[in-house]
Amino acid sequence: MAGIIATGIPNAIFALMALLVASAITSVLKKSRNTQFLFSTVLFAMVSGLALVMLSTGTSFVLLGSLNFYPFSLFFMMLLSAGMMLVNTLSYRYSNDYTSLSLLASFAFVGMIMVSASISMLAIFLGLELISVSTSFMIMLGGKRNMEAAVKLFLLSSLSMAAFSFALALIFPYNPGMMLNPFIQNINVGGSYLVTLAMLLFAAAMAFETALFPFNLWVPDVYQGSPGNVTAMLAGINKKVAFAAFMLIFFLVFAAYRSMFSAIFLVLSIATMLFGNLIALVQEDVKRLFAYSSIAQAGYIMIGMAAATQFGVEASLFQIFAHSFMIIGAFSIILWLESLNLRTINDYTGLGGRNRYAAATLTILMLSMAGIPPLLGFYGKFLLFSSAIDANLIVLAMFGVVNSFISIYYYAKVISAMYTKKPSEKIKTEKLALAVALIAVIVIMVLGLYPQPLIAAATEAAKSITSFTAILPVP
Amino acid sequence: MMPIIIWMLSVPLAALALIFLLGHDFSRKIATASTFLGLMLTLFVLVVSIADHGVNVAEAYPYIGSLMISLSFRINAVSLVLLLMSSIVLLAAVIAGNPENERQKLSCALIVLFQIASVGLFTSANLFFFFVFWDVGVIAMFFMINILGSANRKNASMNFLVYEVFASALLLLGILLLYFYTPLHSFDMQYIIANASRIPQPTQELIFLVLFLAFMTNMPLFPMHFWLPDAHTEASTQGSMILSGVLTKFGAFGMLMLFAMLPIASKYAPYAVVLAAVSAFYSVFVLMKQTDIKRIVAYSTVVEMGIIMIGIGSLNSFGTYGAVYAMLAQGLGVSLMFLSVGCLKYTFGERDIKVLRGTVVESEFTTYAFIAAAVANLGLPLTAGFVADILMFMGSVQTFGLYGALPLIAMILLGAYLYFVINKSMLSSREHSAAVNFVGDDQHIGYLILMAALFLFGIMPFIILNLARL
Repeated sequence: MAGIIATGIPNAIFALMALLVASAITSVLKKSRNTQFLFSTVLFAMVSGLALVMLSTGTSFVLLGSLNFYPFSLFFMMLLSAGMMLVNTLSYRYSNDYTSLSLLASFAFVGMIMVSASISMLAIFLGLELISVSTSFMIMLGGKRNMEAAVKLFLLSSLSMAAFSFALALIFPYNPGMMLNPFIQNINVGGSYLVTLAMLLFAAAMAFETALFPFNLWVPDVYQGSPGNVTAMLAGINKKVAFAAFMLIFFLVFAAYRSMFSAIFLVLSIATMLFGNLIALVQEDVKRLFAYSSIAQAGYIMIGMAAATQFGVEASLFQIFAHSFMIIGAFSIILWLESLNLRTINDYTGLGGRNRYAAATLTILMLSMAGIPPLLGFYGKFLLFSSAIDANLIVLAMFGVVNSFISIYYYAKVISAMYTKKPSEKIKTEKLALAVALIAVIVIMVLGLYPQPLIAAATEAAKSITSFTAILPVP
Repeated sequence: MMPIIIWMLSVPLAALALIFLLGHDFSRKIATASTFLGLMLTLFVLVVSIADHGVNVAEAYPYIGSLMISLSFRINAVSLVLLLMSSIVLLAAVIAGNPENERQKLSCALIVLFQIASVGLFTSANLFFFFVFWDVGVIAMFFMINILGSANRKNASMNFLVYEVFASALLLLGILLLYFYTPLHSFDMQYIIANASRIPQPTQELIFLVLFLAFMTNMPLFPMHFWLPDAHTEASTQGSMILSGVLTKFGAFGMLMLFAMLPIASKYAPYAVVLAAVSAFYSVFVLMKQTDIKRIVAYSTVVEMGIIMIGIGSLNSFGTYGAVYAMLAQGLGVSLMFLSVGCLKYTFGERDIKVLRGTVVESEFTTYAFIAAAVANLGLPLTAGFVADILMFMGSVQTFGLYGALPLIAMILLGAYLYFVINKSMLSSREHSAAVNFVGDDQHIGYLILMAALFLFGIMPFIILNLARL
């Protein structure tokens, strides 16, 4: 049975790519929103399901000599396409130019597949560039008032890509093939400051993309200035792809420099968590609040990478999955309320009485982000703090715990406002936005009550990018 | 034997689902049935344990294999006593705690959620699930204050949440440290107790400090108690009954576990006891400045919890038995006090002792219930409080000599002030406040349940003490 799946899968992937092309062509030719929505939803669902099946059967192979399918890339494909499906639903409802937006989204999706299944660093570079350009255009489609955010995103991602390409040039002598393949040895030249510099540049470039502390200043403006559906994609998907690239480069190429990058990540992680959480405390605009909260969450994800063990990567992957669903769900509710001109915490006052579904789903999502058991966000934090202690970084775990304590305050502030009595008229339920949020809630609740499958998947994925480094001597 | 702990957990879980499905009309009946069944199951365990001369229930199911976390439960003597107390308090809270009939569906759902948390926490044999249920309880209580509370509820609930989440964050850190520093990486309490002596000394000190801070915030003891008066005053009647009766016992239960677990704890026990004594005296003096009866009762919780901590810190069997018994007695007593205070407020629209006069005239039963609870908490013979106090002070005198009896002065001061309250506002009959509403039969049933339990465990303490061959 497994053999049939293994041989059948390449064909299935070709079929899918054909579908993608077909859907792109239909969208351009027919300009029909509904067909396009149907096509893309089915496509994303199929990719996600296929990745899930391949992940659970433990398949791995290289397609066309350039796309590497193994547990790590499959984990991301499953997550990203599921996330894209949700975001796509939001775009269908809220975007005024859905057909163009959907086409751009499928370009971005190709970039995501390229990054997560990349076999060389060049593929990562191209994939990230493809994503950021398409996303900038997606923001622009929102209209004139979104132009500023689009330009900001475009410029900053160009900057990050510049750093990336410089870093690529620096390590070219040591790794001429730019390969990222598990079967090729990683760089291990002691004492070369060029490699160290390259590593720092990579870290800076990826810190831009994942919005870590000194490089995160674009996030609140861009999140606030983009149409809500694109914000959900930026926070829930683009950032996660950047994390995939981050992990691939550091754990495959620079595995020999583990102790050095662990120290860099430790500093980044602590600074990011503190910055995100402390600034979020004083936010009044809900979208900005969630922008800062997702900065803080990126800091939590870095805890696992700072631990730099298989367990740490596993914990980071788990949290990436959890946060992706939580933030997409939260932004779908925020988007819905934004279309009714509810933007600040003050506007949210009395939401519980106006539409209880919106208030309840947002509450559950926020409790999960704050790490309250038995929701999925709790297990993410639990694994992350465990991995830090496991790697003997007790101080990092303490900072994580303190931050998770700070974060409860601003989440609870919103919850408390929502459940304040305030007489005002009811809000009509928006079916699609609520459905997206409900799917996210179901995922975090079901996996929160029984996290074993997700932990197993994350373990497989983490093993696939960390295990082969064990054969190398650690400097 | 059948999986009784799973039943105890699944009854409220099913009830929670039913409340959401069937809606407003049935919610109170469902919650009553759920808490009643919880009490029956606990009594069943009690009866079986008495027949077997010892408590021995343990269940384990696989959960997360890769991290060696299993869904494991056990009931020992301490947890049986606390289960008994919490199920009685919860039943009384559902039946009687809401004379205003406000937001029945939500309050019932939250109580049932809290039932899951308390059963899970007291029976958990596993520190991981101890933490999970702890947080579920805290969140349920947060909503009980935040949504169902009175005028200043928003600030009070945020205050509560900040302190409690601080505690649970430290708890998580402590649990993780324990996990990674025991030889075989395990969350299992039995295993940790058996192997804790192998943890290096400085790490043990760190773990002790972290966990002690966490539990003392929840209990609460002096410098960490600032959340408590507001939270109690602003919570609904049901909320304060459960908050003071059950939630503060989470911390005390954890404290007992901590002192049994870490060998280093005995070194720090005297400091903990001094802190507890300071806490008791400090809060009894603050209490004497209060005029709101609900605040008075709230501060009396801090006094009593300080004394319970002294019992735990005595580190001998009298002290430990006494502390466990005091948790039972104080849990029942204080929730009866909060219930009757809530009913006084409902009856007279007022809780200030400067305004209330002669409540006994218009609402006899409520006033006598308050008096019964007050004397039981102070340790009148034939009530559960007497057994608890005498055991605890025997324990503390055994360890600390005559200094161990000093905290009795705090108890006496508390008693004096409560006497003053009762005398001035309740029993004086020269003038009397006018009743606005009258409490119904439900409230009377609630009083009866709690009073019967208080006297039962006072007259027949052997029911519990025979179990506790610790």
